[in-house]
Amino acid sequence: MSVHISSVGMGRFGKRPEGLIDLAAEAASLALEGVGRKPIDLLVAGSMFAQGPQGREALLPRLAGRLGLESAAGFRVDSSSGTGGMAFHNAVLALETGRFDRALVVAAEKMTDRSTAEITKDLAASLHMSEVAAGATMPGLAAIVTQRYLQRYSLTTAVCDLATVHARSMAVANPNAHFQKAVTAEDVAASRPVALPLRLLHCSAISDGATALVVEKGTGPATVLGLGQGFDALRLVDREELTTFAATRLAARRAYEAAHLTRKELNVVEVHDAFSPFSLIHIEDLGICGPGESPHWFEKGWVGRDGRLPVNPSGGVIGRGHPVAASGLAEIGEVALQLRGEAGRHAIATRPKIGLAHAMSGIASHNFVTILGSKTA
Amino acid sequence: MIAGTTLELSLCHACQTRYLPCDGPCPKCGSSDCAEYFTSAVGRVLAATELHYPASGWHAPHRLALIELADSVRVLVILDGALPAPGTLVEVRHDKDVYRAKSEPAR
Repeated sequence: MSVHISSVGMGRFGKRPEGLIDLAAEAASLALEGVGRKPIDLLVAGSMFAQGPQGREALLPRLAGRLGLESAAGFRVDSSSGTGGMAFHNAVLALETGRFDRALVVAAEKMTDRSTAEITKDLAASLHMSEVAAGATMPGLAAIVTQRYLQRYSLTTAVCDLATVHARSMAVANPNAHFQKAVTAEDVAASRPVALPLRLLHCSAISDGATALVVEKGTGPATVLGLGQGFDALRLVDREELTTFAATRLAARRAYEAAHLTRKELNVVEVHDAFSPFSLIHIEDLGICGPGESPHWFEKGWVGRDGRLPVNPSGGVIGRGHPVAASGLAEIGEVALQLRGEAGRHAIATRPKIGLAHAMSGIASHNFVTILGSKTA
Repeated sequence: MIAGTTLELSLCHACQTRYLPCDGPCPKCGSSDCAEYFTSAVGRVLAATELHYPASGWHAPHRLALIELADSVRVLVILDGALPAPGTLVEVRHDKDVYRAKSEPAR
């Protein structure tokens, strides 16, 4: 049974005055309007923190009530920063059973009303307890991964700076992106240290935001062609290699097999660059280039809007902002917008037929790959 | 010079994984059929970082390092001292719930 994305709803990512439910409802309403408010019989909602002013929100029933979807079935998912990917994959699986006709998938996060220290502590919930006990944070472990990558290929942090410059330049064309201003490599290198070698502009921002998709039976420009998931050891010390993410490689292999496609048929890609050097690792793990070759792709501009294979035309997590649960769904939504010819100013040079979205939980402990496109491609 | 102290690890009899800490089941296969053994506490720094925005309860700069011990066993340690270059040898010790290593001041 074929399933396709028929509508994408996304509000502005960034520091927003609204609370979680309002953000989610805004994106959901935009998505529902895109299909003329046709009936929804499945509501899938995701949030890592589900943080409201008084604590955790009952996101699913509150959203169902707000949207008038009391007669729909529903479930909520949480896979930290991979939540959006998990929500979408499970909505597709539910539709493929034939029991539902049309699903609304919503992922939202409210983060900017808490301190950086509180957010840092909460994000560490996606790490292993022994790492947290040692005072590890997401940027701390990402720094160790980055250092290993740079060492292995005898690189300097200049390639990380370049990855940030790319993301921020893409975000400028996306009116929903948190960051609307490009940065130079010098800006990145001069930004304050967070967890060396990572500096502030190598790290995703704390953002509010939500994404919603309507997914339904049938085919269209953004038909689901292949899905893949992969796990890896939660503790970094239990992984044999840190310069590549096994969870991405496994998810990608499964998605390519399900879609009967290879990476050579991709026209656009969105990867989960929670830290800008991770975009280097991700495109290698997706098979777009060989190990250690991705810096060359960025240096040559092959990932640009008119390049060989545009990567993160939305600005990615670095440029679009990172309301953690919403990011994975925003990546899928961006690919759908590109395929449906609805990306506006952030459209890539040639309208694509096949696209891939990658979402990541924690430090790549559970990753999701989604391949969308037209069956006739 | 680093003293010749040892560190307690576990060897899983089911899948032969060597791991620490040695107070739980094998992280790879979940087996509890494990035996404790001792290996050199001296390990090589694979990567090290300095956290300027540590989690609540820690003070900046908080330094962490990924250390490789004998038999390719890896451990994340809290570094006391300067940030060492990759390849530096350090001595790892178990301290309650965490592992620590002391690095020499940068020269």
